[in-house]
Amino acid sequence: MSFRRFLIKRITIAVVLTFVAVSVIFVALRMLPGDPFSSLVASGGLTTEQVDAIRAQYGLDEPLYVQYYKYVVNLLTFNFGYSLTNSQPVWAVIRPRLVATLILLIPALVATAVVSTLAGMYAGWNRGSRFEKYSIVLTTFFRSTPAFVTGIFLLMVLSYALGIFPAYGMRSPTANPEGWYETYVSADFAMHYFIPFLTSVLYFSGDFLLLARNNVVERKGSEFLNLHAAKGLSDTEQLMRAGRNSLLPVVTYFALRMGMMFQGVITLEVVFSWPGIGRALVRAINQQDYPTVQAAVFIMALAVILANLLADVTYARLDPTVAEGGES
Amino acid sequence: MSVESLSTERVSELGGKAKNVLGVIVKDRWAAAGLVVIVLFVTLGILGPALAPHDPIRDTLRGEDNQPLRTEAPSEEAFMGTTAFGKDVFSQFLAGARPTFLVGLFGGIGTGIVGFLVGLVSGYFGGRVDEVLMRLTDLTFALPLLPMALLVLTFVQPSTPIIVLVLVTFLWKMPARVIRSEVMSVKNRTFVRSARASGAGHLRTMFYHVAPNVLAVGFLYTAYAVSWSIAVEASLSFLGFGDPTTTSWGTMLQEVFESGDMRDAWWWVLPPAIGISAITTSVFLVGRSLEEIINPEIQTEGDQ
Repeated sequence: MSFRRFLIKRITIAVVLTFVAVSVIFVALRMLPGDPFSSLVASGGLTTEQVDAIRAQYGLDEPLYVQYYKYVVNLLTFNFGYSLTNSQPVWAVIRPRLVATLILLIPALVATAVVSTLAGMYAGWNRGSRFEKYSIVLTTFFRSTPAFVTGIFLLMVLSYALGIFPAYGMRSPTANPEGWYETYVSADFAMHYFIPFLTSVLYFSGDFLLLARNNVVERKGSEFLNLHAAKGLSDTEQLMRAGRNSLLPVVTYFALRMGMMFQGVITLEVVFSWPGIGRALVRAINQQDYPTVQAAVFIMALAVILANLLADVTYARLDPTVAEGGES
Repeated sequence: MSVESLSTERVSELGGKAKNVLGVIVKDRWAAAGLVVIVLFVTLGILGPALAPHDPIRDTLRGEDNQPLRTEAPSEEAFMGTTAFGKDVFSQFLAGARPTFLVGLFGGIGTGIVGFLVGLVSGYFGGRVDEVLMRLTDLTFALPLLPMALLVLTFVQPSTPIIVLVLVTFLWKMPARVIRSEVMSVKNRTFVRSARASGAGHLRTMFYHVAPNVLAVGFLYTAYAVSWSIAVEASLSFLGFGDPTTTSWGTMLQEVFESGDMRDAWWWVLPPAIGISAITTSVFLVGRSLEEIINPEIQTEGDQ
């Protein structure tokens, strides 16, 4: 299979998956008993006519397939409609939340990928060392413990007991920054950022470390490294060569992790009251703000699908045998 | 992994291996510690509610003036202190092990079985069957677990069986992928081909000749699935989407967080938090030492 055909196939799969995911969300939300408007009537806040008018405005009086069609078109154009509880467009509600989430997670993910990959390579190179054993046990703890539990431990120590870092939110209640520079480049923000950032780094670290370590271990005795050793390369130079050859799985895994990062982030954002998309989703579910719910879930699903696509393509690009051997 | 021998020999070899596995785990200090924690956890899961001195939800502890003991630090009456509602933390911790244990056990086993079967069938038959099943796993990969679980649990009353069902629906993809690739590397080996050639049917070949060779990986991923299940249950409960009729460790954390007492009532926070991280980590530590048996390449050298 040529790379081009492989690419087309993968993109087709991603598009189909997007449609299926979107449909699943649609069905799930339509299955919810009662809609928020009926509760408005019940509470006596609105008359039946007013509710009908609102329902028409949201397109809820149209046949299901028309609703579905409009819904799909709207989602794919990032036109998420109006939030029921915030009385502003959903995108206006979600966008700053998404930014807050990405500002927390992307630096954390990049930092982890670099630091724990290097640590993993070092551990793999020094098999049987204390560093190897303890780094593995330590990162196993952080990767298997749910992120919010790690967050709670860190809060108890760094925030409640020692009082070094604030426990709540993205900035102090009194801080009223303007513009992104003032918002994100300030001591206040940095103090609020530290524990959530550390928690994410620790949570992500285990997989990268093990991946890099196993790759180096598997390659250490290999022919081509023996050749390099025979050529008189130093240990560090050999490690670098081994490392370069171990990068493929790490890069692929990085892409996958990018997509899955919204997974752990929901509880993480709740425990730190971080104003991100995960916390927005939980709140929207509790308030039955369906347009916001579907937008948030859609964005999370889309991230996974795109990341998977990126991972597959990167893998095929870096290792041509994947595309040629015909995947699966 | 094994030499190509008669299939009966391979089966008995597997039994011998099971005995060796315990030996290897006990030799690995960390895995042995993990095993102790797992045994403790299972014991608590079975006996916990019976051992609890008070009912975790109904009994309210009262002081001498008959007022409920609200958020009391550990004392003689309550050795792990009390919650904001005057409940005994120690009893909640003991009883909370059971729902955590049940979700972990059934979520893990269900995930393991479904994943194993899908991976086996997919890898063995290949072609169209494989294509369909793998696209199905792609789909479950594309639907993010926690948001989807939250969606489902808003319109279905959360209960332990429902949470287990949701977990299995979203987690089986993990073992399925791994088992499939293992099966693909086994199915073209000589003993499988000769079994086919000597007239064994697909079912027999698949379950009798191929399956035993990938069973170890299946067990490993079942163990990991136990850990994931416990983690997800804790996360769901923490967000307020757990089974409201029982107190799991996740529910305890949700209550202390919601009550705003997390800052002060460390005695209420630490037991469930330590419980969750101890059991999820232990399962992974034991899993890692099993993984080293399955794939000796990655073994840690010089482990005592």
